[in-house]
Amino acid sequence: MRRILFLVSLLAIGAPALGTVDDAISRAMEAISPYIKAGYIVRADQWCGDLGVREQKAIPHTLFKGNDYWFVMGTDADNARVAIHVYDSRGNLVETDSWQKGKFAAAHVLPGATGTYYIIVEVTNSPDERTHWAMVYGFK
Amino acid sequence: MKRYSVFVSWVVALTCASGVAFAEAPPRQIDLSKFPAARLDDVVVPLPSEVFNVLDKLGTPDWKGQFRSPNIVNRGERPQIALLLGAVIAEGFVAVEATDRERVKSIGRDVLELARAIGVEKAVLARTNAILSKADASDWIAVREELDGALTDVKDAMIELKDDQLAHLVSLGGWLRGTEVLTAIVDKSYSPDEADLLNQPDLLRYFQERLAEMPPRLRNNQLVARIQKSLEEIAPLVHQKITPASVKRINEITAEVVKAIDSNA
Repeated sequence: MRRILFLVSLLAIGAPALGTVDDAISRAMEAISPYIKAGYIVRADQWCGDLGVREQKAIPHTLFKGNDYWFVMGTDADNARVAIHVYDSRGNLVETDSWQKGKFAAAHVLPGATGTYYIIVEVTNSPDERTHWAMVYGFK
Repeated sequence: MKRYSVFVSWVVALTCASGVAFAEAPPRQIDLSKFPAARLDDVVVPLPSEVFNVLDKLGTPDWKGQFRSPNIVNRGERPQIALLLGAVIAEGFVAVEATDRERVKSIGRDVLELARAIGVEKAVLARTNAILSKADASDWIAVREELDGALTDVKDAMIELKDDQLAHLVSLGGWLRGTEVLTAIVDKSYSPDEADLLNQPDLLRYFQERLAEMPPRLRNNQLVARIQKSLEEIAPLVHQKITPASVKRINEITAEVVKAIDSNA
């Protein structure tokens, strides 16, 4: 899926997007690195794309009760602000913790039941019309 | 333990986000039915590690009793090899749970052999070497990460080769074998918490949709058609409370289909 989104980004804004998508991924990886030190296993896949301001994307994911997840988002745009939150299949906010710091944001989930959850990513503020983002997650 | 991990998470969060400005509070509830379809991504297929990580916490089942010896010699066409590759990688997780070094190494070699047969050997060579060396060192967590990585690398290589459908079959083969093992374990000592791990209706629907979208030459493949039928049988069982009878039936269905994948039947 990462590759598909990556290609869509390339088609949307041309070759210069290559660096920026990679930069968004690097930022997300940078933001998740403290969790690796805390024993979280970080999945090698990344989810990425571009969004307009206040535009959201939902990523459905089966989360397992008993696991502990951190979902982390980053953007390459220095002056942008992003947000990430997690909802259950009934639309209830389920994260136990979340933070946002400009181009980084994260949400912590301890699922109360196994099932489908929705990770909602959003660009809340940006000087650009479209802003590249990337999401990675870790679990333990 | 849980309290400790929550505490650690807080410390990590606060450390990594020093100077964090807690942003505007998100809505407590949203209406997902009104979410624009164009803004809804595909379902994420979880890594096998995500399931086995939970199983680790549920006691010490008889993992060796779950061993199955995949037949990688009697190979059929590419769809069967892709399904078998996924199932063999899942078998690797069972061997890791059983901390069986020789079996893990043998599975590592099988993964390489199957990847070669399907033309993605190069993508997985480093992973399989790492599986062998980390199994020798009994570094089971690292072996698990390499198995997850092998699955991802194989699928990425197939997508690069424009074989997206085969990549889906690798995932599906892994899911079927993983579900067979999971249901066998839950069936032996049923508890609602363990059975809840099977609550994956959207993931199942995702696989059904991928199969339905396949070109006729793949969809009409005898094995693929059989799997499609099996998923149709499993679907209603995971759309309700997962009872001991449902667990047993899902186990029967997945065991039959994994046997078919294995024997190229």
